[in-house]
Amino acid sequence: MSEPGSASPPAGAPAVAAPGQRKRLSPSPEDPQTGRPDPAGLSPHQRALREAMVDAFNAKKARRFLERNVGHINVNREMSEGIKFLFDEKGLAPENMPLEDVIEERRRVEYQIKWFEAVLAELRNRLIRVKEIEDYAFEMLAKASDDD
Amino acid sequence: MAAPIFLLAPPRSYTSLVNAMLGQHPQAFGLPEMCLFNVDRLVELWQGSKTQFSENGSMVRHGLLRAVAEIYGGEQRSSTVNMAFSWASRREALSSGEVFREIVDKLHPLVAVDKSPSYTMSVRRMQAAHRAFPDARFVHLVRHPVGQCKSLMVINDGAFALKMEAFELGEDYALLEPQIAWHDININILNFLDEVPAERKMCVRGEEIMAEPRRHLAQIARWAGLRDDEQAVDEMMHPERSPFACFGPINALFGNDPNFLAGPTFRPHKPKVPRLREPVPWRTDGKGLYPEVIAMAREFGYE
Repeated sequence: MSEPGSASPPAGAPAVAAPGQRKRLSPSPEDPQTGRPDPAGLSPHQRALREAMVDAFNAKKARRFLERNVGHINVNREMSEGIKFLFDEKGLAPENMPLEDVIEERRRVEYQIKWFEAVLAELRNRLIRVKEIEDYAFEMLAKASDDD
Repeated sequence: MAAPIFLLAPPRSYTSLVNAMLGQHPQAFGLPEMCLFNVDRLVELWQGSKTQFSENGSMVRHGLLRAVAEIYGGEQRSSTVNMAFSWASRREALSSGEVFREIVDKLHPLVAVDKSPSYTMSVRRMQAAHRAFPDARFVHLVRHPVGQCKSLMVINDGAFALKMEAFELGEDYALLEPQIAWHDININILNFLDEVPAERKMCVRGEEIMAEPRRHLAQIARWAGLRDDEQAVDEMMHPERSPFACFGPINALFGNDPNFLAGPTFRPHKPKVPRLREPVPWRTDGKGLYPEVIAMAREFGYE
């Protein structure tokens, strides 16, 4: 593989400098109040470029969020298929049932599912610990029988 | 009061694992991400900050709430987290240092171990921790820039790099570049550590702890004045036994990296260490690490 060129940093300084004075690479100067980089110190052109990048980042983030949630909605639809029996023989909410109640019921079930998933994670974690104890106990038993 | 140990590292540098490992030492107590020194006074952890990419959301409080629930309530349940809210509200006017000192006092004689990667975003935050605990010890945990940056870009599409203003600016383009965040965080840590006496700071490569955990954990324990016998090291090999190595109750679920919370068990392994002069995988132009980043990685012992 040919050796790649190094990317060009926006500002540069050697890593070794006077104590406490090493320079950072971020183009945004440090805010003396917070000690964090502050984009307000960029030139208007640099600020515009940065804003465009942030907008693109946020758009990508929003797109991913939507993709994930579309999947979630689909899963919820499957779930609603599974709980149709809660309502009536046709799988519909009873007549005159307020839409708010249906939404409330859906939220309650979703909430319980979240809890169930959290409990499941906790149980898996405990199972790992219990298995370790069990393995250790068997090991001790094996050693004891060898000694006998 | 036993002076605490602070792990200083950019995010995604094995901090959760190493913190939980050290915290399992019989003479230590591994805290979740307290984030207390992100603010001057406790109430500010609730008030938040209006700045863009602020890290002061509700999740930033989960570590403190879980720690208080565990230490003062003996367990982490919704009810003890509610108690932790009351505990915090009674102390809202106190400084972060006073609150942290109270927790460390309560843990005495155990040595508190804290890792909050957000401290490393600003030298001031680390200085605040040092002011609160002039005898504290600081472990600078480093990870190879390529491994760390790859991992960083997977979490929230690299949002942390945005918080660090890690942009490469050209004539007509701006690019999110995580190696700037790796470099600048480590610069912050090095600049801060210049103020710390040599005997109270050490630098460790995370990859080496992963490959030879027993040797390096014993070494850190010795340096911190803790036991380094077999039994102590055995305990440290089980980060999953930490009370914070799982999701918390519904009102304080996190307090640590969710990946660690979902799978805290440690398996020794030798991480692949890429060469420094190769194209980096998050760039599409085939370019590699900046010369400054390579120089710093070499300073940390990477080749």
